[in-house]
Amino acid sequence: MKFSHESIEINAGLMIVLTMIAISIGGLVEIVPLFYIDETIEKVEGVRPYTPLEQKGRDIYTREGCYLCHSQMIRPFRDEDMRYGHYSLAAESQYDHPFQWGSKRTGPDLARVGEKYSNQWHVQHLKAPRSVVPESIMPNYPWLLENDLDYSDIADRMRALKVTGVPYSLTTAEYQANVEKFGKETADQLNILEAEENLLAQAQSEDFDGDRARLTEMDALVAYLQVLGTMVDFSKYDEGYFAEFR
Amino acid sequence: MMASGAVAVDTQYNYDIVKRFAIMALVWGVLGMTAGTYIAAELAFPFLNFDTAEITFGRLRPVHTTLVIFGFGGSALFATSYYIVQRTCQTRLYGDLLPKFTFWGWQLSVLIGAIGYMNGITQAREYAEFPWPVDLLITVTWVAYATVFVQTLRRRSQPHIYVANWFYMAFILATAILHIFNNLAVPVNLLSMHSYSLFSGVQDAMTQWWYGHNAVGFFLTAAFLGMMYYFVPKQAGRPIYSYRLSIVHFWALSFLYMWVGAHHLHWTALPDWTSSLAATFSILLLLPSWGGMINGIMTLSGAWDKLRTDPIMRFLIASLAFYGMSTFEGPMMSLKSVNALSHYTDWTVGHVHSGALGWVALVSFGSLYHMIPRLYDTKLYSDRLVITHFWLATIGIVLYITSMWVSGIGQGMMLRAFDDYGNLAYTFVETVSFMHLPLAARMVGGMFFVSGILVMSFNIFMTIRNAKLEQAAMEAKIAAKMANAGV
Amino acid sequence: MDLIEWFSKMENTKPLALVIFFVTFVAIVLYVFTGKKRKARFESYKDIPFQDDERESKESEKGKHNG
Repeated sequence: MKFSHESIEINAGLMIVLTMIAISIGGLVEIVPLFYIDETIEKVEGVRPYTPLEQKGRDIYTREGCYLCHSQMIRPFRDEDMRYGHYSLAAESQYDHPFQWGSKRTGPDLARVGEKYSNQWHVQHLKAPRSVVPESIMPNYPWLLENDLDYSDIADRMRALKVTGVPYSLTTAEYQANVEKFGKETADQLNILEAEENLLAQAQSEDFDGDRARLTEMDALVAYLQVLGTMVDFSKYDEGYFAEFR
Repeated sequence: MMASGAVAVDTQYNYDIVKRFAIMALVWGVLGMTAGTYIAAELAFPFLNFDTAEITFGRLRPVHTTLVIFGFGGSALFATSYYIVQRTCQTRLYGDLLPKFTFWGWQLSVLIGAIGYMNGITQAREYAEFPWPVDLLITVTWVAYATVFVQTLRRRSQPHIYVANWFYMAFILATAILHIFNNLAVPVNLLSMHSYSLFSGVQDAMTQWWYGHNAVGFFLTAAFLGMMYYFVPKQAGRPIYSYRLSIVHFWALSFLYMWVGAHHLHWTALPDWTSSLAATFSILLLLPSWGGMINGIMTLSGAWDKLRTDPIMRFLIASLAFYGMSTFEGPMMSLKSVNALSHYTDWTVGHVHSGALGWVALVSFGSLYHMIPRLYDTKLYSDRLVITHFWLATIGIVLYITSMWVSGIGQGMMLRAFDDYGNLAYTFVETVSFMHLPLAARMVGGMFFVSGILVMSFNIFMTIRNAKLEQAAMEAKIAAKMANAGV
Repeated sequence: MDLIEWFSKMENTKPLALVIFFVTFVAIVLYVFTGKKRKARFESYKDIPFQDDERESKESEKGKHNG
C-alpha cells in the first residue's frame, strides 16, 4: 500500500497508532532515564524512611492538603538559602510517596522546617496561626488536637509502602539489612511487626502535642514537621559535591 | 413542521446523551466556580475557614479544581465530542447503553471525588487527587468513552474524518495514558480509600508534572481545540481558514506537548537537563499554538462584522484571543530566569486562569450557546443575556489576571530583595500582608465570573423550558388537526 | 540500556530532539502544502461541518411534502 496522509485520515486505527507514537516520545525520553541513571539521586548519609508516627503525620499533612500552600523544595538561590536553608536534594525525598514538593507558596517552604520551632510553637500555630503570626492567612486546625490518632492500620500502611520500595522490614533478613544500612535504632523503627509499639513509644517519649495522656493527630503531624529536612548533615559535605548531581 | 423535523433529527442522532452532559457541564460549572470564589475569599479573609475541616482551603481547593476541570470541562467535552462526532460523520452515536454508562461513570467519579476531598480522602497529587477506587471507575469509563468514539468514527458515512475529531481522539488517547501512569499506586488495603504512589521523590515529581501539564495540554487544550474547529466555523457560517494548517497544527501540537511538563520543576532536585529540554519544547510550542489561534480567528476574515452582531461569536473569538495570550505567557514563564521569579507565586495561578477562564470556559460557553438551542430545536431565550454574560466574564477575567500579576510578581520581587547589608529585605509574612489587596481583587473577579455563568444558566434554563412549551403546543396543534381531519 | 543512557546525556538529547522534530515537521509541512490536487482535496474537507445542514433541511423539506 502506498503511504499517504490520506490513509491516515480515512483509517481511524492507523491514526490512533500514529497519534500514540507522537504523544509518547516526549514522556519516554524525559521520564525513563530518571529511573536508570545513578546520578539522579545524590549519595548522602542519613536519609531514612519515616517512623510509623512520622508517616501517620505525613498522611495527615496530605489529607489536609498542606501541599497546596506549602512547598517542600528549596531552590538553589541566595534568598532561599538565607530564608529556608540548604537547597533540597533529590535524596531527601526518596522515601516520599507521594512527593510533596508542591507548586505554590501561599505560605513558606517547609522542606527544612524541622527543629526550627519548638513543639509547643507548632501546636499553638496549628491550632490558631494568627495567635503567633498575626498576618498569617492559614486556616485554624483545632481538630488536630481534638481527634484521637487512628493508628489501627499503620502496619497495613507500612506494608503498602514496602511494596512501593520503602525498606520497612518484615523478615529478620530485611531487619538485619536495615541495621547495616541505617543503624539499629532506626532499623527498629522500620520494623513493621512492631509498628504500633514504636508509634506509641515515640509519641510518649517526645510528647509532641503537650498532653501525654492523649495521642492526638497533632502528635503525629508535629512529629512529621519536626523531622523535615533534618536527616542530612550538610556540614559533612562540601558544596561542590552536590553540584555534580544537578 | 418543526416538530416533525425535530423527530427526524432525534432519531438520526443521539441527542439525549449530549443534552445530559451539556446540562451537567453547567451544573458543575456553577458549583466549581462558586467553590473557587469561596476559596479565593478564604485567602483574603481567613476567618471564612470557620474552623471547619470540610471547608478549609486545603480540602476545598481540590474540590474546585476537580469540579471545574473534570466536572465542567469534562462534561462539556463529552457533550461536544458526542455532538461533533455524530454531525461530522453523519451517523448516529455507537451504542445506547455504553454512552449512558460513560455519563453515569463520569458524573459519579466527580461527585465521589469532591465529597471525598472534603472528608480528607485524597491522593495528594495535584489534579489527580481521586482516590484509587475512583481512578478505577474513571479508567473503565474512559475505555467505554474511547469505544463509543472510535466505533462511531468507524461507522461514518463520510470518507474523511474531520479534524475536530482528531483533536478529540488525541485527547482521549493521551488522557488514558496519563491517567494510568500517574495513578499507579498501592492501596493500604482493599477496604481503605488510601493508597501510596508507586514512585517516590524525583521520579514521582516528574510523573506527576508530566501528567499535570499534559492534563492542560490534552484535556484543556487539544480537546477544546476540537471544539473550536467545529463551533467557530459553524457559528461563523464559513469554513475554517485553512484546513492544511489544521493538519500541521494537529501533529505539531500532539508531538510537542508531551515534552514540556518538566518546566514545572525548574531549579528543583530534578536533573537540569530534563527541565531545560522541557523549556526548549515549551518555546517551540508557541508556534503550533499560535498557528491554531490564527486559523480560528482568520476564519472570520471578511466577516468581522459578526463580532458586533453575533454575541456567541464574541465568546468564541475572545476565547481564541485569551488562548493566544496565555500560550505566549506560558513559554515565557517556562524560561528558567523568569520561572525563578514566577514559580511558587500567584503569577502561575493567574496564568492558569487566563487559560482556564479565558480559553477553556469561554470557548465552552460559546459552544454550549450554539449547541443547546440546536439540541432542543429552538432559539436561545435571550441574546441580550448572552451579551451580559460576555461582559461579566470578561471583566472577571481581566480583574483576575491583573490582580494575580500584581500579587505574584510583587511577592516574587519582595522575596528576592536584599537590603544594603545583604540581608533579606522582607520576611515571608510581609509578602503575605502585601498580597491581601490583590487577593481581595481576585475574589471580586471570581464573583463577576460566577455571576456570568449564573446568567447563562438562567438563559439556558429558560431556553429549554420554552422549547418544551413550544413542543407541547405544537403537539397539541397537530393532535387537534388530526382530530379535525378525522371528523 | 546503552541506548537509553545515550538518550539521557544532555549533549545527545539536544541535537536528537532537534533532528527528530525538525525532520518530522518538515516532512509533514512539505506533504501538506505541496501538490495542487492535494490542496484541493484538503481544502474540500473544511466543508464537512456544513454537510449535515443540507441533510437536515432536505429532511424537513421532505417533511413538508409529506405533511
